Order: sequence, then structure tokens, then C-alpha cells
Amino acid sequence: MASQSNLPLPEGYQLQTYRVTKVLSAGGFSMVYLAHDDQDQPVAIKEYLPSSLALRREGDVLPSIAEENLATFRYGMKCFFEEGRALAKLSHPNVVRVLNFFRANETVYLVMRYERGRTLQEHIQQRRGSMKENFIRRVFTLLLNGLREVHANKLLHLDIKPANIYIRNDITPVLIDFGAARQTLTAEGFKLNPMYTPGFASPEHYQRRELLGPWSDIYSVGASIFACLAGAAPQAADLRVEKDRYISATKLFNGRYSDQLLETIDWCLQLDHAKRPQSVMALQKVLLRERDPEGPSKRSFVANLRGTLVKLARR
Amino acid sequence: MKFSIYQESRQGPRKSNQDRVAYCYTRDALCMAIADGMGGHLHGEVAAQITTQFVAEAFQREAQPRLADPFKFLLDSITSAHHAIVDYANVRSLLETPRTTCVACVVQDGLAYWAHVGDSRLYLVRNGRIEAQTKDHSRVQILVDAGRVREEAVAAHPDRNKIFNCLGQMGPPRVDLSRRTALRHQDTILLATDGVWGPLSSRQICEELIRGEIIRAIPILLDMAEARAGKDGDNASVVAMTWADEYASDAADWISTVSMDPTQIKTTMEQFGKSKPPPGQAGYLTDDEIERAIDEIRNAIHKHSK
Repeated sequence: MASQSNLPLPEGYQLQTYRVTKVLSAGGFSMVYLAHDDQDQPVAIKEYLPSSLALRREGDVLPSIAEENLATFRYGMKCFFEEGRALAKLSHPNVVRVLNFFRANETVYLVMRYERGRTLQEHIQQRRGSMKENFIRRVFTLLLNGLREVHANKLLHLDIKPANIYIRNDITPVLIDFGAARQTLTAEGFKLNPMYTPGFASPEHYQRRELLGPWSDIYSVGASIFACLAGAAPQAADLRVEKDRYISATKLFNGRYSDQLLETIDWCLQLDHAKRPQSVMALQKVLLRERDPEGPSKRSFVANLRGTLVKLARR
Repeated sequence: MKFSIYQESRQGPRKSNQDRVAYCYTRDALCMAIADGMGGHLHGEVAAQITTQFVAEAFQREAQPRLADPFKFLLDSITSAHHAIVDYANVRSLLETPRTTCVACVVQDGLAYWAHVGDSRLYLVRNGRIEAQTKDHSRVQILVDAGRVREEAVAAHPDRNKIFNCLGQMGPPRVDLSRRTALRHQDTILLATDGVWGPLSSRQICEELIRGEIIRAIPILLDMAEARAGKDGDNASVVAMTWADEYASDAADWISTVSMDPTQIKTTMEQFGKSKPPPGQAGYLTDDEIERAIDEIRNAIHKHSK
């Protein structure tokens, strides 16, 4: 399916008080620019520009929107407002901070603090998984502080994945991209295409969306930790529901990480939402639990060694 | 206070949604209200809107952060909603005053107080059983009390929509007050319009509530009510709250008001005329609505950036 692709705003374009520096990312729903404000501080600006509905052509600034698409274009704007509303209420060091929101060029813009660092996705790709346990625990414990704040505001992120976890240069994580965020308390269920990422989305993302809850974000957190170990996401949840080929982290990484971390991953990745940790707090408690020096990982190593010796002796 | 709360209103197959739902809370007090504007009467949704708005606004004014007297608050705010509806009709010289039911509940110091007019109901569900419920101001309820109709037959009774007491009626409405009731950990208070309790038995409601948290249970109950009522269905609305002990660990991410600024008030209410638009022109945003959304977001950014 050849989809038309949108041209970004040109470099140096003056968007209200911001000067566009370059495009950071372009998706089907929006574009993100690096820009500088009038104090020359860098910011990230997200532009609502669904490529299936609005087209910005060579040399134009205003996107052209076909008459018959106008209603849908504006309806989609509601989702963009949801993201703005969600973020505006959140002020937390581990959640991306929104600085401004405005209307221009017949569309709307969300201005966010620009963070220096790399996404967890890039970290994973660089190391091909096999991240250090201490790094994982540190990053996710802090990230869960942010997610707790999100849930405390009655919001769900609904698209947690390594690409949406930004690691600053001081190794503190920031949860970004609230494009899928949904207010759990609004009566209207959005009928616009729900967004999810295979492998990281929970079973209830696909069907029975009425079951979405904190446990759905927790599934995605589990899948993200899994990706830190494996270098890739676990089998997609919709396929797992049909035929579950997920090999438990406890089996797959036995001996390479503490049993407790592996068990936590498997716990988060339960298909039955009721069997997962029900709140971020419950999950954090486990991640924060001090690793007993005589803890499971060492014991299992010794047990493995003993098993090998016994086998050898029997030869 | 620690609790979890959920509200939802569905239009169902009707042409408009005449139900209104709202809740507000401060650090020390919580208020929930539901109103069902009367279909047979003109401007039923206006009456319902005025009512929830009056109760919510009175709460915002008086809960500082506590109400001096919850029963007096309920009585006064519901009575003034009635007068406001009558005034609305007089100013516009309406031939018929719009009418509505109302049930409202206040929780303060771990005690629940409620009041109702008409046939919207409040249930207090404890351990999967109904601990208390309001008695409808309907003809059929009189028959039930007289032992001439069984409780389970109410939903199917031809007179079930005939109520003898509502806001906007000729003469002052009778506001029924509950007893002051101490809440226990995991008690659920559920306010519902007849579009919900009509098609469902109280047993179904209790069973669903015991199965999971209200955030999950209420949408399922509304699905069931809609499915059972079919094309003759009504607007269906619920606001429900589950109470938790302050230090309960099984409610870790529920709303806790302990750290709230005593002057802060949180309110959640459907906006007037915001009933779900029919598909096709689904949620077309006007320029005004866009400007308003942007203002709202900018205000929130400003408020939370300090």
C-alpha cells in the first residue's frame, strides 16, 4: 500500500517563537522536530499531521486537506488533545514535560522539553540485548516512578516499549510519546485506529479493550525488560493467545540473571491480566527488593555446577 | 480518604442522552450525583444538567474542605436544583417544566450520607451483598411494599416508569434522606439510573462487583444492561465508588486525598450537550472547541509547571 508521505517544515522555519532546526522523527500521525526557542533553548515540537488525511507538498507550509477528510482530520485532533491533556497534568522527572501547546498552520503543535540521550531501543540494538542487571533494575525502577504518576492521574500510557523510553546521558529514564495515552475515566471510547506495537502490547490491547488497565502497561514493561535481555520483543500477544510459544525468561536466561528478575518478567508477561502485578507499586516492590547475596541466582549456579559434577562423575 | 471511582454514561438506542453524572472531591469529602431527565418531558436533559451542576457547584462552594452538615447540604442543594429548574421554565415560558430524578451521596469521615428523589437508585454493596438501597418513588414500588408485586417483577411492570416524586414537578419534591452509614474497607456505593438497574437484577450487579474492581466491572455491567434491553434500551449511567482503608495495600494506586491541598477540588462531569454524537459526524470539532481545548491544555501546563 503506497501511502503518501508528508514533507516536514523546512529547516530554519519560524514557528511562532520557535525556530525549526531539524526533523527528529516522522510517523503516520505526526512529525517531531528539534527546534530552538527565543532563548535558544532546544525543544522538541510535535506536529499533528496524519499523512492519510493531510498532505504537505513541496514548497508549502500549510497542509492540504481534502474537503471529505476535514471531519476525520479534526476528529483525530481530539487524540492529539488527549495527549496534550495527559501530559500537561504530569510533572515528574521520569515523564516527558510538555512546555507549550498551540495552533498554527491549520493544525496543532505540542512543545516538549528536549532531552539529551538515546532511546532504550538504541541501547538494546547496540548491545544486542544482554544488558547488565544493575542497569536494568536502575532504569526500570526509576521509570516505574514515572508510570506510577501516570496511573495516579487515571491515565494509561498504552504504548510502552524501548523506543518510547528515553535514557538521558545521566542514565535516568524518561517516558515519552503519549500518543496512545488514554484517560481511563472518559466515557467516550475512541474509535480511531487504536495504536499498539506488536510484542510490547498486551493481549487486551488487541481485543477486549474494555479490560485495559494498569496491568496492560505492566505487560509492556515486562516485554521491554525481556527485550533488554533478549535483544528483541517476546512473541506478539495476539499470536500468543492463539498458540503460546513464549519461552519463560526463567528458562531462557537461567543463570545469567537473578531468578528473581526473571520471575518478575514472566509475572508481567502473563496472558491473563489478573495474574500480572496489578499495580506499579507491586512491581516496584519486587524490583527494589535487595538482592540477597546468597540469593537465588547464586544458589542456582551452585546447583547447576553440582548437577554437572554429578553427571561427570557418573560417566 | 482513599477510594477508587468510576463513572460512565451511555446513550443506548435513544435519540439523546438525558442522564447526567458528576463527582467531586476535596481532601476530606467526596460527593457523587446522578440525574435522569425525563424523556416524556421537554428539556429533560436540561433538568438533569441543572441538577448535577447545582449539586457539584454547591459542593465546590461549601466543602472547605469539609461539609458542615452533609444531610443539610444534600437537602439544600437538591431543593435549590428543583427551584432552578422551575425558574428555567418560567423565564423561558415553557409550557411544561422539565423534570428529572436525582440521587446524590456524600462521604466524609468514613461515613456515607445519601438522598434521592425519583427512581434513580443507590446501592451499598458489601461482601457481594446489598447492604442498603434506596426505595424508588414509583407506583410500582408502592405495590411492592404492599406485597402485591414481587421485587424481581418490577423491571417488567407496565407502571415501572411512573414516578410520583421528581424535581421540576408541581409543588416541592420530597427528598428522602438515608441513615448515616459507616463504610468498611471494599464497600462499593453505586448510583445508577433505571437504564442500568431495570434490565439487571441486583444479584447480577453484586456478582459483577465482587468479580473485579469497578473500573472493570461497571463497563461490563453497562454492556450487559445494553444487551439485555436491546433496541428498547434507555440511557444507562453509573457512578460508583469503592472505599478503602487508608493504609490498605490492595488499593495502592487508588485515589488518596491525604496529600491534597485542602483548598483543592477535583470535579468530573460530562459537559452540557456532550452526549455522544451519532456516527458519521462523530465528534466533529468546531473552531471554538479547538480553541477551548488548547486553552485548557495551556492552563494545565501553566498550573503544573510550578
